Amino acid sequence: MVKLDYKHRQAGHCESGVTSNLLNYYHFQISEPMVFGIGAGLFFSHLPFLKMQHAPTTSFRVWPGMVFNRSTRALGITTINHRFRNPKDAMNRLNEVLDQGIPVGLQVGTFHLPFFPPEYRMHYNMHNMVVYGYDKETYFVSDTLMEPVVEINYDDLARVRFAKGPFAPQGRMYYPVKIPAEVDFKPAIIKGIRKTANNMIGVPFPLIGVKGIRYLSGKMRQWERKLGPDKASYYLGQVLRMEEEVGTAGAGFRFIYGAFLNEAADVLNQSWLREISFEMGENANKWREFSYLGSRNCKKRGKPEQSYDFLADMLLEVADREEKIFRKLAKIN
Amino acid sequence: MEENQNPVYKNKDYGQSRELLYSYENDGQYKKTVGFHGEPDRIILQQAWDLFGERIEDARKRVKAGKVSPVVYYMEKNLLDPMNLGMIAGISLWRVKWHFRPVVFNRLQEKTLKKYAKAFNITIDQLKNIE
Repeated sequence: MVKLDYKHRQAGHCESGVTSNLLNYYHFQISEPMVFGIGAGLFFSHLPFLKMQHAPTTSFRVWPGMVFNRSTRALGITTINHRFRNPKDAMNRLNEVLDQGIPVGLQVGTFHLPFFPPEYRMHYNMHNMVVYGYDKETYFVSDTLMEPVVEINYDDLARVRFAKGPFAPQGRMYYPVKIPAEVDFKPAIIKGIRKTANNMIGVPFPLIGVKGIRYLSGKMRQWERKLGPDKASYYLGQVLRMEEEVGTAGAGFRFIYGAFLNEAADVLNQSWLREISFEMGENANKWREFSYLGSRNCKKRGKPEQSYDFLADMLLEVADREEKIFRKLAKIN
Repeated sequence: MEENQNPVYKNKDYGQSRELLYSYENDGQYKKTVGFHGEPDRIILQQAWDLFGERIEDARKRVKAGKVSPVVYYMEKNLLDPMNLGMIAGISLWRVKWHFRPVVFNRLQEKTLKKYAKAFNITIDQLKNIE
């Protein structure tokens, strides 16, 4: 039996929470927003041709796995990433690593996770959690989405690690192995901010970044006419679910990113960053307001200030705000 | 947003877990709070469950009427779409759609039925006769 002295802390976003908790286990103090910012997690894309749960996909974050990889690489931390072909090898390797006293991050599919709250019951293969010990068939799990620590048995764990479908985890496990004694946060932060700014305003493709928000706004105006009221309302609901529900800590990661800019202002000693972090906070509140009014719309309390046109105008305003913010952030050095 | 107040859902199993949320006050403070879902979140989640419920019920009726094969019912019940089902069962998308016809489904080989049964985590008997 192995049970490491791992400190479970709840977090807003699964991957950056897992990364921050894993690094904190080695007494490397780093907060969740910091990981998220350095890993350049903020993003926006609207892909109408890719359907998820019968509605177009809207994403507020980068590809899964990137936050961990980017943030640890930028900080000079050596990590190990494994994928497996067969569940038995994957589980044996997990046990070996745990025996060495290393907590392990896992990528899992959420549909068959037994402890997961039923409102998140969907086929989502990019969830992250940490296993910090095992006792025969029982594994001790710290899932940052959950308030308490939880347990899972061998068969279930093998099953969720080898969930099939799009973005299959293939038993992916990862852990930091070597952390340098002294880490300079400054270049990592600057690099992360530049990367995010580039993702949001520098990609010459209309579905991504600030342009993506404007594109979604344009599409939204057509929904009611093209799809009818029921489907339009479901499509709007899907955007809001992606923004608020799937482990985003609110407003599609905008709050986390604002908190990161606030911390970065202290570390870099640049006070203009703090002003931008306030702008980001106001922008996030605007997103919040959008989701509030949008949810009223979904409940079919049709008032003029909750119509699709009004919501689309709101998105345009948000896009302008974000463009302004990231134009300023792109000049960081 | 409501805080620390467990909202009542149509289904009592839902909304039992608390989540960590970040927020920003206009005086320049970022705060972390642990709380239940607020009302807007509840509405949009309920909307999704309602849709899935309707789709499952609709699929059940169509299977009973003999219009589609039981694969459709189990697909809806597992919140899948044809593409995901194909990836999970290891059957190509076009074959999955082909198997939605009752006539085709009835003459399927044992091998293929097994693949579906494994994907849905049920027995072949259950797959052939829906409740």
